[in-house]
Amino acid sequence: MSADAHRAEIDRRVLEWIREPRWSYNEQRFEELALELFAFQFEHCEIYRRFCEGRNQTPAEVNAWRQIPAVPTSAFKEVELRSFPAHATTHCFRTSGTSSDVRGTLYLDTLELYEASLLPTFRRFMFPESLLPEDRALIRVLAPSQIEQPDSSLSHMFGVVLEAMGEPGSGFDVENGELLFDRVLTVLVESAASEVPITLCGTAFAFVHLIDHMARRGVLIGLPSASRIMETGGFKGRSREIPRAELYTELKRVLGIPSERIVNQYGMTELASQFYDSVIRGPSEPRRKLGPPWARVVIVDPETGHEAATGQVGSIVVVDLANTGSVLSLRTGDLGRAVLDGFEVIGREPGADTRGCSIGADEILGQSSL
Amino acid sequence: MTPDDIAEQLDGLRDAGKRLKRRPIGEVLAVLGGVLDRWSDPASSWRRDLEDRLPAATGFTAPMVGEGLRRALGGWTSDALRKLAIRELGPIDALDSASESRVSSFDTTAVLLAGAIPMPSLLALIAPLAVRSPVLAKPASRDPLTPQLVARSIAETDVELGRCIRIAEFPATNEDCTRALLEADCICAMGSDATIAAVSARVKPPRRFVADGHRVSIAAVATPETVDGRADLSERLALDIALWDQAGCLSPIAVFAVDAEPARVTALAEAIASALANAEKEWPRGAIDARTAHAIAQQRAEAELRRAAGRAVEIHVSDSTAWTVIVEDGPELRPAPLHRFVRVIPVPDLEQLLSAIEPLAAHLAAVAIEGFGDRTIGLAHALADRGASRVCAPGSLQSPPLDWRHGGRGVLAPLVRFTDIESTR
Repeated sequence: MSADAHRAEIDRRVLEWIREPRWSYNEQRFEELALELFAFQFEHCEIYRRFCEGRNQTPAEVNAWRQIPAVPTSAFKEVELRSFPAHATTHCFRTSGTSSDVRGTLYLDTLELYEASLLPTFRRFMFPESLLPEDRALIRVLAPSQIEQPDSSLSHMFGVVLEAMGEPGSGFDVENGELLFDRVLTVLVESAASEVPITLCGTAFAFVHLIDHMARRGVLIGLPSASRIMETGGFKGRSREIPRAELYTELKRVLGIPSERIVNQYGMTELASQFYDSVIRGPSEPRRKLGPPWARVVIVDPETGHEAATGQVGSIVVVDLANTGSVLSLRTGDLGRAVLDGFEVIGREPGADTRGCSIGADEILGQSSL
Repeated sequence: MTPDDIAEQLDGLRDAGKRLKRRPIGEVLAVLGGVLDRWSDPASSWRRDLEDRLPAATGFTAPMVGEGLRRALGGWTSDALRKLAIRELGPIDALDSASESRVSSFDTTAVLLAGAIPMPSLLALIAPLAVRSPVLAKPASRDPLTPQLVARSIAETDVELGRCIRIAEFPATNEDCTRALLEADCICAMGSDATIAAVSARVKPPRRFVADGHRVSIAAVATPETVDGRADLSERLALDIALWDQAGCLSPIAVFAVDAEPARVTALAEAIASALANAEKEWPRGAIDARTAHAIAQQRAEAELRRAAGRAVEIHVSDSTAWTVIVEDGPELRPAPLHRFVRVIPVPDLEQLLSAIEPLAAHLAAVAIEGFGDRTIGLAHALADRGASRVCAPGSLQSPPLDWRHGGRGVLAPLVRFTDIESTR
């Protein structure tokens, strides 16, 4: 079988799973597809092959999806990881960053899996009460559109969501890099007055700007009870930084949306699939991140490289079958802990003291972008 | 501890300070010199106490603490303190006599300590007392032990001086207590840039504010001479890296190999790796948290990928995260997870070295250099111009002299007010 035909066959099988209306977390199916995709990427992504060979973790040695070598997401800043010929590249998504940051790049030869994966996951965790594909909602996005930021996977995702699920009145509220506060407030006030629930999506820092703006204006809005928020990403350099619990308290105060209806999405440019807080699906259960059957998380003990013990904090490794064009197993820059059938992301303790007085270069790097 | 408790301590220190100021400065320096002599003596009860209890308090291993203290405190003696005072304040005898200048101390000095390495804490507590200013110290969350032991050692040596040092323990998040502490007349703060900025914003004028921000050090060696001719170079570099688990501002995060052939760079990296492996046996690294282990694993994996992409990257690692040596193929600086993780960076010449370290300039503490022959002084001056406040030989980074002008300023001078007395009618 040629490389193209093999890849097409893998894509077909992954898409088939993604498009099934009922989700089934079938371990054997995941294992088989993951190992086959690993073998394919080992063969067709030379850098990944050498990386695996350097660790003596080749398809001959690896016989379980948890053993598939994971590349750090940060590596996308320096190396081109693609399992298809460079000339076949049709899209590039770049990680966010300030102008002085080196940005990572994900090269794609198709958006089909990315788009197919994101929609059912978004729908399942944001609108668990209405799973029908034809169901639509009023959605406003506090982020730029994919037209304004064509290399942003997040903008692309929101564009796909709006097209598939947004009812009239939905749209983006960041234009030319500016959050259009007046327009957002008008829509929010209308939603409150008409009692039409609204879904607000955006980056965490955009919500901080909205909260600050509303505080300056002295505006408080009580949105309809079925309204909800999806926030994602961090704050670094884009707004003041506040703990998530505080962000949620503030969002409840200014918009009337309780934390049970605020969902953090865990996703990244390098991943085709995303994970969402479980709160809307299971408000009485522990808040944890859940994902689709075709993407799994394993928490790895960074000291040993082996799977961490239950409850132990470790590195979050994602194995995403929808990443057929790049590398399926990614070691994220985040720490996490397994919680029931999902996981939680462990943030850095604010003000945590270090053992010494060395700046460790990371902070300097953050300041000067070496 | 409440804000009222802290205010009460400051009042008590002001009273004690009145008696302290009446004592000749030479006498105070002699007492504190005696304290330092005992701290520098490995057999002293205080030193043994610190060595016994610091590992449990901080996470450093006992052999590492023992070696680190031995190397750091060996030169911190009464003579060194006297030399420091003369260097920064002038002749001791003149300080209490009618002369053309006057050195006055602040009524109180608050010291906000950071980190778990004991020597900066020891010096930060001794220095204000040496200029006759009573001290109220907030211990670092990572090391509650050292300030207590230092305070006890001073009280045991001189009861009246012991009344001039108090410890204020409260969580760093307690804004009210912090505000009360910052009512002192002189504030010394250690910590990250963010911590320093936060404290600085709260200090009310006209108080003196002395900041010791986090810093970083490097080493630079001229490889043709050093690798072939100085077998112990790698051991000395490994010592600088291993002590205090590379967490100190004097710990090198990178070794620049100047004017090096690739084979010599490889040989240097292998020798450092071997020496770090030996250091791990002799002075094991302390346990690290998941975030640090994650950072090390991440940096190792990134290096593996650069190597897989065909770049000339070499990787030498322990089975665990205990030590890591990465040979890079370009001069750009990269994140340093510390805890015995060092990069060997080849650069073709001194110009490229100086260019490569430019981004570190604002945070550069020390540079260990070797093998530069008659270029040494010129290089040292160029490093000074780029922010280094200390240039020394590999192997001595962790043994700074007491009078090292950390951060490029003095130890005692920032803690006093100088008055120049001109002739009048």
